[in-house]
Amino acid sequence: MDKPETIRLQAERWRREVRDPSVQQAPERQTRIVNDAGDAVEPVYTPADLAADEFSYESHLGFPGEFPYTRGIDPAMYRREVPIVSAYAGFGDPRDSNQRYRELIQLGVQGLSVALDLPTQLGFDPDDIMACGEVGRMGVTISTLRDLEILFDGIPLDSLRTVGSTANSIGPIMLAMFIALGEKQGLDRRRYTVALQNDVLKEYVARGTQIFPPAPALRFTVDALEWCVHNAPHWIPLTVCSNHIDVAGAGSTAATAFTLANAKYYLDEALRRGLGIDQVAPLMRLFLNEREDFFLAVANYRVTRRIWARLLREQYGARDPRSLQIRIMGYAHGPRETAQEPLNNIVRITMGALTCFFGGLQDMRCASYDEAINLPSDEAVKVAIRTQQILAHEFGVTSTVDPLGGAYYVEALANRMERKIAEIMQVVDQLGGALGAMERGYVQKTITAGASRRQQAFERKERVSVGLNLFPVTAEPRPQTFRIDADVERRQVERLQQVKQERNQNRVATALAEVAASAKDGRNVMPALVDAVKAYASVGEICGILKTVYGEYQPDRSF
Amino acid sequence: MIRVLIAKVGLDGHDVGAKLVALGLRDAGMEVIYTGLRRTPEQVVRAAIEEDVDVIGVSILSGAHLVHLSKIRRLLDEQGAADIRLVAGGVFPQEDIPALEQAGVSRVFDSGTHVSEIADYISQLA
Repeated sequence: MDKPETIRLQAERWRREVRDPSVQQAPERQTRIVNDAGDAVEPVYTPADLAADEFSYESHLGFPGEFPYTRGIDPAMYRREVPIVSAYAGFGDPRDSNQRYRELIQLGVQGLSVALDLPTQLGFDPDDIMACGEVGRMGVTISTLRDLEILFDGIPLDSLRTVGSTANSIGPIMLAMFIALGEKQGLDRRRYTVALQNDVLKEYVARGTQIFPPAPALRFTVDALEWCVHNAPHWIPLTVCSNHIDVAGAGSTAATAFTLANAKYYLDEALRRGLGIDQVAPLMRLFLNEREDFFLAVANYRVTRRIWARLLREQYGARDPRSLQIRIMGYAHGPRETAQEPLNNIVRITMGALTCFFGGLQDMRCASYDEAINLPSDEAVKVAIRTQQILAHEFGVTSTVDPLGGAYYVEALANRMERKIAEIMQVVDQLGGALGAMERGYVQKTITAGASRRQQAFERKERVSVGLNLFPVTAEPRPQTFRIDADVERRQVERLQQVKQERNQNRVATALAEVAASAKDGRNVMPALVDAVKAYASVGEICGILKTVYGEYQPDRSF
Repeated sequence: MIRVLIAKVGLDGHDVGAKLVALGLRDAGMEVIYTGLRRTPEQVVRAAIEEDVDVIGVSILSGAHLVHLSKIRRLLDEQGAADIRLVAGGVFPQEDIPALEQAGVSRVFDSGTHVSEIADYISQLA
């Protein structure tokens, strides 16, 4: 290969003698292109662009399944196994959702993540005044183990590759429910895999379902992690997410940096409890995101594996390869799905899904094209699943490992991203780590500034949505929206009342008292939670008793 | 000076849009107060009356917009604050918009609206 210096000189010559005169004669559409990470995009990339970072194949990329895992955590990657087809689903009452789940499995879904309604995520039972109007709307309502039993009626947990939920503030409660449900279904814990989000830190800055103040909430989260280390080491009790931080406005580079800082916080808390790094790290995975730029997305997924592997080896002294091989999941969305002309979103989502394949993800799901309008309709869900299956099996996308590896543009983006992520993580460290950076408002300010930048770019039409601010459509009728049965709230309240009548009240009271006692004494609350959910204590009751120990989050009124 | 209360009602935690609008209205010279997440209609109405605002801008993405916005309008009217105007922003099914307008919401802004458009509208309204 030519020396980078030779190529750099040639590139300068080309620019001077060929490109610039050509562009002077007929200008480019935009004189300057800035990507969502705030960086100028060059007209062309060459090996000279990699020289600045002393790029070497061995240290930056390596081989699939080998350190630093840039090219993938598995030597065979998709030639062995394509990404797990997951679905994030749930609406209305558990019976409606059970029907949807059965249909999803028929279509080939292998992983189910229970979409919970907001009252459940926030620890309010359906009969709570705060739940009014929201029961079963953004997801399915699960207030007691009975609801989960109905939700998975006829669906053994071991018939799925992973089963879980986006539960965050209530993550450990949902974990307890899946433990109890597995027992009810007569399953050995080793035969099924629970995968939870349970990433409470990002709730305070980006997703907004926080219940408790951050410090106790973090202990609560790590209780789930610690329990799994000892009792279910093949489960995934924690998925640290960049998705919501990015979408809220931070951009994928800063979002990934904050996510890694959050992951460090969880790891440090686990280590403080005396766990070994190689006991904890293999139970974690990342949920990464980039929806504004195809190539930034591919770079982000790939480089994050490298950063993780180095971080765990160098800063934490991890030795087990499973600690270094971070699994990544993704949720393929397009750039800004539109409510106008919603079928166009299929194209956007397909491109997003392609970045997941080129990024070497383990587990992914595709968004439904009508999500900008309502909860996914049956047809939209089917298209989403088929999108992933088509990409996995048609058109050669998965024929070789890491097909974009070595592309000058992608690797240059990755190197720049790696530098910027390191810088942001250093700032976070200086502010006292993830919690300190949040308490000082650094994370929130980054998010708001980014959101404002994106809005301005949109208004200036630098950020384009076809059909919206470019080639706009006027008064396009939207398709029939998918509606939640208005009677859900009443039915759920009735079911809860029935469960409360049938259960052993003494057993519930004893279990709830033990939840409070273990939280207060700083013991792991998981055993008490398992007893409480088995006694059919409700999510609202458990959160209520925990609030008496942990306290309650107070809303932030700054903007 | 026009006084605006930006309110998050219901349980959804997506407040980026609410904060952007709050910032934009402040930049447009208005006095802006933000409630923070997850306020009840009662809390919003109390804050609006206490802060003597001209307009309440409710941001909601949870799908419970009809319930909450109708209740806010009703409480305002009941508590002698019928002059406080109510606007809403978020993601709403097209067919809900007439119902929202009938419930006393002066204007519904969909996602994708320019902040300047919201500022212009509120200036005329107040």
